[in-house]
Amino acid sequence: MLALLPRLRRFAAGLARDPADGDDLCQATVMRALDKRAQWLPGTRLDSWMMTMMRNIWIDEQRARIRRSETFVAEEAGMAVGAGGGQEEAVELSVIDRALRTLPDEQREAVLLVMVEGYSYKEAAEIVGCPVGTLNSRLVRGRDALMARLGEGV
Amino acid sequence: MTVTREELAAYADGELDAARGAEVAAAVAADPALKAQIDGHRALKAALGAHFAPILDTPLPERLTAPLQRREAEIIDFAAARNRRIARWSWIAAPALAAALALAVFMPRGGDGYASGGLAETLDTQLVAAQPADAPTRILLSFRDQAGSYCRAFAGEAQSGIACRDAEGWRLVTEGDGAAAQTGEYRMAGASAAEVLERAQAMAAGPALDAEQERAARTRDWR
Repeated sequence: MLALLPRLRRFAAGLARDPADGDDLCQATVMRALDKRAQWLPGTRLDSWMMTMMRNIWIDEQRARIRRSETFVAEEAGMAVGAGGGQEEAVELSVIDRALRTLPDEQREAVLLVMVEGYSYKEAAEIVGCPVGTLNSRLVRGRDALMARLGEGV
Repeated sequence: MTVTREELAAYADGELDAARGAEVAAAVAADPALKAQIDGHRALKAALGAHFAPILDTPLPERLTAPLQRREAEIIDFAAARNRRIARWSWIAAPALAAALALAVFMPRGGDGYASGGLAETLDTQLVAAQPADAPTRILLSFRDQAGSYCRAFAGEAQSGIACRDAEGWRLVTEGDGAAAQTGEYRMAGASAAEVLERAQAMAAGPALDAEQERAARTRDWR
């Protein structure tokens, strides 16, 4: 599991859109994997198992965040008026980071799993839990959106 | 022949089977627009790969590695402990020691490394100076260890070793097979009386208790 950590971190950083959030996600994944390690079937791929776990934790976290923001959104919106918060931070981000952030989660994870992590379509589809054809079309839509944002000069 | 964007991506990623791959390759060779899409796909892949590559080389933060290292250490300890258990109990299975099996049944061993039953009672009450010559378990000597706890080395037919008194009871520090197990055809690795005494000497903070000190310790319940 230790040997997988760098790759788990990489996927987490892409998924969470931010390296610090990515490490939080990675830590949560490690803890859950340790708790559930009896459920891992020896002979199957540990990396896919953990990536799946990470993705599920991320989705749960997203849902929880949405619930929180629905509760507090009015207050936060009121405070943020005219503050222009986060602009400087956005400038620091690379074009690739910004382009990735605009993708819907399902497209971003497809792009990350195939184009960064190097999984086959079949493996990526299993991690995500969708048919291979669906994974293929999400990948293409995500890729096209990225290329449109990044222009020809990639 | 039409090639879908999905197929083109799959081709660029090496996902098509050989037959379809060859057809798409022919189409790409004939159409610069398709070729440009393939190039764009691969360029994006390379750019994303390069973008995320530094994370792989960044030192891992301790909060990620520590839980794993801790857990791996526990697993190794657990495996070692299990091996020790198997080694300790394996002599029971040796057919030549069937006689020893009968002894093992009432061998006063606590379930969790503490003396129980007759052994606990012996450790609580029996004094070196006053014990009968034919006592089933003889106390060899009593002493205090570095932490100040009372410890007693004992030897019996079934079991010999050292036990130290703590809040829970007599914790077995060194355990060995008793004299019965050592006279069989197979002499099992265990602590003989000489080995027990040697170990006691290493553990003791001072000389062994004399008869008076031992009696006083018993009065205080060895605490």
